[in-house]
Amino acid sequence: MAEHLLEVDDLTMYFHTRDGVVKAVDGVSYTLDKGETLGVVGESGSGKSVTALTMMGLIQMPPGKVERGDARFKGRSLITMKEEEVRKIRGNEIAMIFQDPMTSLNPVYRVGLQVAEPLMIHKGMSKRDAIKQAVELLRLVGIPNPEARVKDYPHQFSGGMRQRAMIAMALACDPDVLIADEPTTALDVTIQAQITELMQELQKRTGSAIIMITHDLGVVADMADRILVMYAGRMVEYGTTDEVFYRPLHPYTWGLMDSIPTHNLVEKSELCPIKGQPPSLVNLPSGCSFHPRCPYAQPKCVTDVPAYRLVDGTHGASCHFAGNPDFVRGCSLEVMV
Amino acid sequence: MTMSEHDKHERHDERALVENHPVRDSRAGLPAGPPITEELAHLHNDAVADRHDNDAAGRTLWGDAWRRLRRNRLALIALIWLVLMVTAAVSADLWVSRLFGDPATINSATAMSNRLLSPTLAHPLGTDTMGRDMLGRLIYGARASLTVGLSAVVISVVIGLLLGALSGFYPGITDSLIMRMTDIFLAFPYILFCILILAMLPTSARGIGPVILSIGLLGWPSFARLFRGSVLSVKENDYVDAGRAIGASDSRLMFRHIMPNAIAPVIVYATMSIGGAILTEAALSFLGLGIQPPEISWGRMITDGQRLMDTNPGLVFWPGLMIILTVVSFTLLGDGLRDALDVKMKD
Repeated sequence: MAEHLLEVDDLTMYFHTRDGVVKAVDGVSYTLDKGETLGVVGESGSGKSVTALTMMGLIQMPPGKVERGDARFKGRSLITMKEEEVRKIRGNEIAMIFQDPMTSLNPVYRVGLQVAEPLMIHKGMSKRDAIKQAVELLRLVGIPNPEARVKDYPHQFSGGMRQRAMIAMALACDPDVLIADEPTTALDVTIQAQITELMQELQKRTGSAIIMITHDLGVVADMADRILVMYAGRMVEYGTTDEVFYRPLHPYTWGLMDSIPTHNLVEKSELCPIKGQPPSLVNLPSGCSFHPRCPYAQPKCVTDVPAYRLVDGTHGASCHFAGNPDFVRGCSLEVMV
Repeated sequence: MTMSEHDKHERHDERALVENHPVRDSRAGLPAGPPITEELAHLHNDAVADRHDNDAAGRTLWGDAWRRLRRNRLALIALIWLVLMVTAAVSADLWVSRLFGDPATINSATAMSNRLLSPTLAHPLGTDTMGRDMLGRLIYGARASLTVGLSAVVISVVIGLLLGALSGFYPGITDSLIMRMTDIFLAFPYILFCILILAMLPTSARGIGPVILSIGLLGWPSFARLFRGSVLSVKENDYVDAGRAIGASDSRLMFRHIMPNAIAPVIVYATMSIGGAILTEAALSFLGLGIQPPEISWGRMITDGQRLMDTNPGLVFWPGLMIILTVVSFTLLGDGLRDALDVKMKD
């Protein structure tokens, strides 16, 4: 098997808190190759971000602890690597964009200096050279008049522009992997589309792989090559975008699809949210974590934890009945009624 | 800038951004406006550039703080008073002796004839029991007070910042150890402890140095506490995580990302503490444990003058007034700084 750029293998990380063990990441596996985009989808608290943060070594340990599994970047384990080694990778080979651009920039420094910082840390550039480079980066992400704008402070930037600056910062060292943690969640819808477009455009230009973490299936639909659906720290379904969108296997994925609002003005259809709340990660339901909210739960779902298994080729799910045609037929009938 | 102007400014930027956006988005649902001719785009960019050149100079964070401070009249008066006093104290050697006579040494030939003179042109505030000019002595007293105040607070701040930073940045054992040590130090009766330290020294070793050290070495716990709290809250900010995610080291995170955002309350408290240190120095000198003659200290002047307070109240009044004015000035300035440095009050 050829070596993948990034390989997450049964990664499991628990927080040991006073209230009990929080199973934040539980047996997550995926691979990422050069130039590919992986969409990680799930509700809040499903462990999407924590998986990425664990990989990057950005989780405080303790209370966090990697129980088992590994994350390998270019064949080297990020989990067992020394902190100094990981630091050389962070921001250099794997970069990250955070959710809220309003708070992710340091208010006391000029934007240019912040965009230049990774270059000063990793490429040993002088401040002057790095800021010169920052001007080009800001131009690349579509900030008008970057020569003047590098001298601005973050509060002089609008939300969309700040997220552009964050992207410029992440791209500064030309990383192989770009982890985008809900990069559009805090932005206006029109700006969201621009940022998504910008990321795709830049990916074409730089060839970096992207991990797009989002709770919005719409965002990853036309961007991702593959999709990982997460629920309560576990992987629920994993496959190519087409597979997940056209032949979803897991009832949770069905629920996610149904809860996308449609733009149909003529025929008003009712929005179908998934009922109930995501479970507490301290006190997971027995068996399949999704069974209390699953409309099709069977007795087996309450007692047995479904393992992730491949159903066809590269497409798999963690459901006892995934790929079982009788089950699917039974469910669609129920949906009709 | 008013709020609505600010809004306009932002929207304006967003539009400019869309217009000059290289990867124009078709899905964004933005109406495709008339194409901007090259000339127009050029003009537009120039306008943006001009605006930025104009306000770039005054728009630093410290510039903003200074502008807010200037609007606070009390703080400004306090600042002016302190600047005057510092200037007088620093330049004292150049002019005080020449105008008012040597304020420190006793000239036995003229001491008797010059003692306890009422204010005249030659001695604007009169003379003391040894025939030395009061104003000259007050100015030299300012020198001692300011030296003690500033140096002691610098010592406290340095120790406090260091321990507070460690404590706030590394939770767990480091934090617990430092905080327990802080608790112990805070439990000492501050002035009594200073008195104890100074009283143990032989008289010949007493002076400005031991006073600075004893005040400075006992003052750090409050700074450590304050800075720890500040670091703890700043540490939660996304930009610290973002800094970590670009590969910044612990020291870089602490000194470049956290410190500048966490230092404001320490600056404020330090300013106010200078007044406190001056007060402590005055108290110690009043008790005879602080600054020793012939060096001049306001506290010592009060001790010397109190015997004659009935007949010559000026001997106590002037140094007392100086202490009050200086301490109040530092407090008011600290207060003004608190408002000026508060980012939340940004207009």
